[in-house]
Amino acid sequence: MISIFIYIIFIILLILLNPLSCWYIFQFTLLLIILFFVLNPIDSYFSSISYRIGIDYFSYGLILLRVLIVSLIIISRNKIKSIFYINTFLLICLFLCLILICIFCFMNIFIIYLFFEFRLIPLLLLIFGWGYQPDRLLAGLYLFFYTLFASLPLFLVLIYLYLNNNSLFFEAHINYNSGGFIFYFCLIFAFLVKLPMFIVHFWLPKAHVQAPISGSIILAGLLLKIGGYGVIRISFIFEKIFSKYNYIWYSFSVVGAILVRLICLIQGDIKCLIAYSSVAHIGLCLIGIISISKWGVLGSYFIIISHGLCSSGLFCLANISYERILRRSFFLNKGLLNFIPRISLIWFLFRVFNIGCPPRLNFLREILILSRIIFYWSFSSLYFLFISFFSACFRIFLFSFSQHGVYNFLYRCSGSYVREFLLLTIHLIPLIIILLGLNFFFI
Amino acid sequence: MFKFNIYLYWGLFILLISLGFFFFFMVSVSMDISIFLELKLFEINSFNIYYLILIDWISCLFISVVLFISSIVIFYRMNYIGTYSYSSNRFLFLVILFVLRIFLIILRPNLLRILLGWDGLGLVSYCLVIYYNSIKRYLAGLVTCLINRLGDIGLLLSICWIISFGRWHFLFYLNLYDFYLFNLIVISSFTKRAQIPFSIWLPAAIAAPTPVSSLVHSSTLVTAGVYLLIRFFNKLAFNNLYFLFLSVITIFISSFCANFEFDLKKIIALSTLRQLGLIMRSLFIGLVNLSFFHLLTHAIFKSLLFLCAGIFIFYINDNQDIRVIGSVCTLIPFTTSCFNISNLALCGIPFLSGFYSKDIIIESILNQFSGLAFYLIFFFCLGLTCTYRIRLFYYTIIVNSKFKCLVLFFDGKSWIKLSILVLTIFSISFGCVILWIIIIDFIYLVFPLYIKIIPLISVLLGFWIGFQICEFSRLNFSLDLYIFTNIWFIFGYSYYLYIINYKFRINYKNNLNWGELYGAIGISNYLFKVSNFAQFYSNNNMKIIFLSFLCWLIFIIYFDSLYK
Repeated sequence: MISIFIYIIFIILLILLNPLSCWYIFQFTLLLIILFFVLNPIDSYFSSISYRIGIDYFSYGLILLRVLIVSLIIISRNKIKSIFYINTFLLICLFLCLILICIFCFMNIFIIYLFFEFRLIPLLLLIFGWGYQPDRLLAGLYLFFYTLFASLPLFLVLIYLYLNNNSLFFEAHINYNSGGFIFYFCLIFAFLVKLPMFIVHFWLPKAHVQAPISGSIILAGLLLKIGGYGVIRISFIFEKIFSKYNYIWYSFSVVGAILVRLICLIQGDIKCLIAYSSVAHIGLCLIGIISISKWGVLGSYFIIISHGLCSSGLFCLANISYERILRRSFFLNKGLLNFIPRISLIWFLFRVFNIGCPPRLNFLREILILSRIIFYWSFSSLYFLFISFFSACFRIFLFSFSQHGVYNFLYRCSGSYVREFLLLTIHLIPLIIILLGLNFFFI
Repeated sequence: MFKFNIYLYWGLFILLISLGFFFFFMVSVSMDISIFLELKLFEINSFNIYYLILIDWISCLFISVVLFISSIVIFYRMNYIGTYSYSSNRFLFLVILFVLRIFLIILRPNLLRILLGWDGLGLVSYCLVIYYNSIKRYLAGLVTCLINRLGDIGLLLSICWIISFGRWHFLFYLNLYDFYLFNLIVISSFTKRAQIPFSIWLPAAIAAPTPVSSLVHSSTLVTAGVYLLIRFFNKLAFNNLYFLFLSVITIFISSFCANFEFDLKKIIALSTLRQLGLIMRSLFIGLVNLSFFHLLTHAIFKSLLFLCAGIFIFYINDNQDIRVIGSVCTLIPFTTSCFNISNLALCGIPFLSGFYSKDIIIESILNQFSGLAFYLIFFFCLGLTCTYRIRLFYYTIIVNSKFKCLVLFFDGKSWIKLSILVLTIFSISFGCVILWIIIIDFIYLVFPLYIKIIPLISVLLGFWIGFQICEFSRLNFSLDLYIFTNIWFIFGYSYYLYIINYKFRINYKNNLNWGELYGAIGISNYLFKVSNFAQFYSNNNMKIIFLSFLCWLIFIIYFDSLYK
């Protein structure tokens, strides 16, 4: 595992030394990392351990997703060579990739916490430096303070744990029984803000809308997932406290999932709707995690992966129409079916994938989580009816309002590049292929 | 040489598959076999997930009929919209996707796999409904897709319920499931079948191109719900008074509204609703095979009706009003005669294909005691059906044309004519052919003569009254009765939902902000206030402040000394 870190550190030098062709190098080296990484042996417990770094099958899938999506940044930009300060841009992306891999690899809670906070700096630079509107300053502040504000109590708890146990290694405090509600709250709340849960989600749409396309791909594909990862890891350790108090977040997320879906219906901005839809997804993911069980955790793990691919793909689609029309508003992005017909097929596919239409990963995770919901509290399956119905509502709204209708700029048409198809199919194909290897997760 | 025609290719391909399945059907009926394949995909904690395929006579016959109709629709479409345009290719692939989904539903006796096709059916039909670009299609597509989605969610819930039984395939477990599960499945199949609480989408979905509505809304999509119930049949759970009541209400309302409707396609859609109500009525009293039989025959002549209506609409400048269509029989006699043959088959005129199934169903319903009101409503509806049939007959043949005076069109030699011809032959002969082949549970029914001829009398009475109503329609009917055309408020109710949604959008936006008020924005406002406060004092002259401080200090010292 440590070889990958050394590898990434040497990529930094390559990027800095070659200002002209650095994006080639960036792309191919990241793809090589995937090849190296797939060879690692994994298991349900930490394996291929070196220097306090190890992976199990949660972190394995997430790291693969990470590297894949960071490498997609290059394809997602229209004219990659003309990006302002491309060296620095790629360096920041690489740093983000490295930090995220660190988060998923280390077996020490404190180091994970450290990288959780450290990830804010490159992200903030990305939004401030390469965003579009002046509103991005406010968006950056939102992002910074919401996540930082919530994670300080976690730090205090970590100090407390270290004083008691003299170790912060995962699995060291299995069945750690003491601690009341405040202890539990401090543990989980930092991750809930990062997820983000309903009520503390306000930073997410702002950051998404103001970030450049590469920033929103990273945000959607990577950053929302680390909160889920953190909750999964922590809930393995403090099982008893979690099973005692989890009903609070359960009810929050069940009601919040419906409300967020209603909020999605009133958006007038395509990117904002996609951002809110990811909040809606994550609400379901949280339900799966905190009904502590194998099916629920697996279901939310599948949500994490499928949502990472789906919503970053949707952001790419929104960007494709933004590059042509130069607007993000729903009321101006109309009649795209006549404007770029080939892309509208992919719009439809992504929409269907997000709803959870069968032979995809999204369908399986819906079944896994719904069965957990019925077992946890059977009455809340009624809530699920509304959750699923409204999610279908706003996705159809997203598709039909943008694709159907009369195109505003009448005498224009536009083709679509091979680059865009490549980008979108890379997002689509893994969702189907993962289904073939499901035995891997059900060991 | 022949020019390569992708439509012809796919149509022939689907037709061949349909013939193959008909052969399988003959084999499985004559040798009485059914094949059951089971492949294990993976397991989660002793919960196995299997891939299942069931081939028996029901699934084979159903598939062959559906594929036959879809191949004919593809042939028809070749002349209807053109062969080489981009959008017609889109249509072709959507139809093929649709057929694929039907395959997935029919061959799998596994609830998970059924959902696989079931969900896709709704989505593909949504794509077909919004095929043309207009606001009406947009709304119709939304309604269709969302109501189908409700059914999907019901099936999802039942899938997760079945998990406690350890398997998703239901053939051997039907007696173990409890009543709630059956009710959930029946209700979720209501949505695809457009039973009365969810019947908004079927009249709305006629906004699709006509061949689509002949394929989707008469033969395949609506029958998928019935097929699910036939597979899930459990006599104890299905014999429920509420379901019976709902199906009777569906029959009544739809046949009543069809009498007041002037949109040709909407009338046909409402008659589909009425026939589905009849099928469900017979299914809920336990006639499984008969209702399946009626489903098939209905699919064939109803798709014929839609295709003929499509030709009328095509020639009369996309006008769907039946008052304009008047006396097309002088110009296109062949199409009009096919149209009326299928009309008569729908009424159940003896020895057309509708007769064989409908007659036995009606007599078995007579045999089943379920109260006088049910009887009366049922026969009233039987008459009403014939009334709107005769209305169609009247407007296509008898009434003078109200279209432009200088107009000429005729039946040419084309794929359209061929496809209609084939379907007409089938809609005459299909009933008796199938009745020869399959073994439908024979019921020995004995009635006195006056009960035996009640259906016939009500049909004839319906014809007569319908004709009279059409003759005197100007005297009897005014626009006040327009309310009946909207399925008695259910259609308007979907529109109200649409309006409420828009009002909600405006109001809800204000309710959103409390999270911001107590979160970031509120805190930053508070900080602004505090810093303004500080700013105010720092802008003032500092001497005055210090002086006032000194005054207070002296004051305090003075009082302090007093109290000591």
